[in-house]
Amino acid sequence: MSEHAVTTGPKTRTLVPTAGFGNPFSKWRKSLGGWVLNTWVAFVIIVIYLPIIIVVGASVDPGSYIESRAFLTFPPRGFSLQWYLNIHPRLWQSLWVSVSMASISAVFGLLIGVPAALGLIRCNWRGKIFMGALLRAPLQIPFIVIGVAFLQAYHLAAEVFHINLVGSFTGLVLGHVFVASPYVISAVGVQLQRFNPSMEEAALIHGASRMRTFMRITLPIIMPGIYAGGLYAFLISFGDVTISLFLAGPDTTPFPVQVLHTITQDFDPTVPAMASLVCIGSLFVLLAVQKLVGLDVLLRGGGSG
Amino acid sequence: MRANWGLVLLPPLVFSVILLFGPQIMFLRASFYEDLGIGRLGPDFTFINYILAFTDSFYYESLILNFQLSASVTLLSLFVAYPVAYRIARMTPRWAMIILAAIIVSAFLSVAIKILGMIILFSANGALNRFLLWTGLISDTIGIIGTIPGIIFGLVHLSISFKVLLLFSVIQTVPRSLEEAAEIHGAKRWRVYWRVVIPLSLPGIISVSLLSFNLIMGAFVSALVLGGGKIFTLPVLIQQSLMLFSEFGISAALSAILMVFVFTINIISVIMVTRIHAARLAVT
Repeated sequence: MSEHAVTTGPKTRTLVPTAGFGNPFSKWRKSLGGWVLNTWVAFVIIVIYLPIIIVVGASVDPGSYIESRAFLTFPPRGFSLQWYLNIHPRLWQSLWVSVSMASISAVFGLLIGVPAALGLIRCNWRGKIFMGALLRAPLQIPFIVIGVAFLQAYHLAAEVFHINLVGSFTGLVLGHVFVASPYVISAVGVQLQRFNPSMEEAALIHGASRMRTFMRITLPIIMPGIYAGGLYAFLISFGDVTISLFLAGPDTTPFPVQVLHTITQDFDPTVPAMASLVCIGSLFVLLAVQKLVGLDVLLRGGGSG
Repeated sequence: MRANWGLVLLPPLVFSVILLFGPQIMFLRASFYEDLGIGRLGPDFTFINYILAFTDSFYYESLILNFQLSASVTLLSLFVAYPVAYRIARMTPRWAMIILAAIIVSAFLSVAIKILGMIILFSANGALNRFLLWTGLISDTIGIIGTIPGIIFGLVHLSISFKVLLLFSVIQTVPRSLEEAAEIHGAKRWRVYWRVVIPLSLPGIISVSLLSFNLIMGAFVSALVLGGGKIFTLPVLIQQSLMLFSEFGISAALSAILMVFVFTINIISVIMVTRIHAARLAVT
């Protein structure tokens, strides 16, 4: 069965099953309807990227500081890297908060998600479905509600147990681990379900220990799921504004929240430059994913959750 | 002999359950005590916050606004995303991969950066206003930030990427051969869409729509920024009452209402999808 095939390695990076026979749509594609549809696709892609293009454009604008504090311009009136050279130290600090927060959240997300997925799929407990629902529950709660709930819980923890989590890095990570772990569970779960357990049995029959079977058979097979889940957790934590806004303190402001402050409170013309650098960084991360396991792992993780 | 996988499941389960129920119970509890402002709660158990949320026009109007916004954005983004998803599903694999990659990348860029771009685009001195002035379509700058159309644009924009990706996987399950069969039997192109493609992807369309409805109900950043402090959707109201005024009780009650709403939609979604599957099985 193809469902049990191990789809790792760079060769299987197709997102769509290949159409077996000649393209029956060649006639249709040349028709007016096909042309309209193609134009629509191009238009939507351009609109999707428009804000990013604008941010990058504004980041190379050569305007003066005073002028740019009032408004940023697009298209840029010239080309200058002045903002890139003068990025506010606060922005670098917030980027550092974001990167470390997202990495730690991803690691803890994996520490929870991988065993949870293994247990959920393999164990034969009776309340399995209920437990699965509990583990996936964070997906059902709007981020804003999670923010409110965690903040209030932290306030209470400070009052009653004298544990200070309000505005702390730990508190921030805890909130993100909570929302990210279901994604890890579904990414690893999908990988586990398509894997043939007889391979493990074969290894055991041939005398491999349980540990060795896990390390040599199970782990390599679920590896794409682990990559995908970890990456998902990282990206969710890195891009999140809503939960961070509630849980972050003045010294633990992640980059997206800093951008939000910039928009709503006091404008800093170096923000587009930093945002462009972050976009380029994200692009490299996603390119690396495409090279390593294929971007389609991200498709697999999200939809099923 | 089988390993006891339940033991592997136990620690993450315990941790998750604590993180799930701890904060949730805490804030639900707060919603049942009178809000005295600046973080203080009254001593007695009461429904006053809920009564306030449904009787004070300031609160229930934002709930209605939120509902209307989510419904219109869900519909609009469906009309935008469905043709794109369909076209990608019927492309040659090479092109489909390129375009899907572009959409995946855009879906994972931070909301904050996209919103920053939209602000630069829409501001009074922004690109859009200057372009429209240049073409002569308008004679005076138009304000988009702080208006309902501005928020709708932002929300549609932010939901398109995920919607295309989800709808793509739905349409992929509709076999191309069925379309060919209909065409061979003389069906016109629009009739193929109307009678074959759309009905077969309907369960998927419904569940994707309800999912995105829920996401938009809780959408906060775009509503806050593009609303320009003038438009109060429920999430904006929740954040402002908690962060600016430390009204623990009322913000908790509003959050609870939002959550119950979202849960209900989820349950409806599950029921509808199973019904449609059942109906289809009964027909065939």
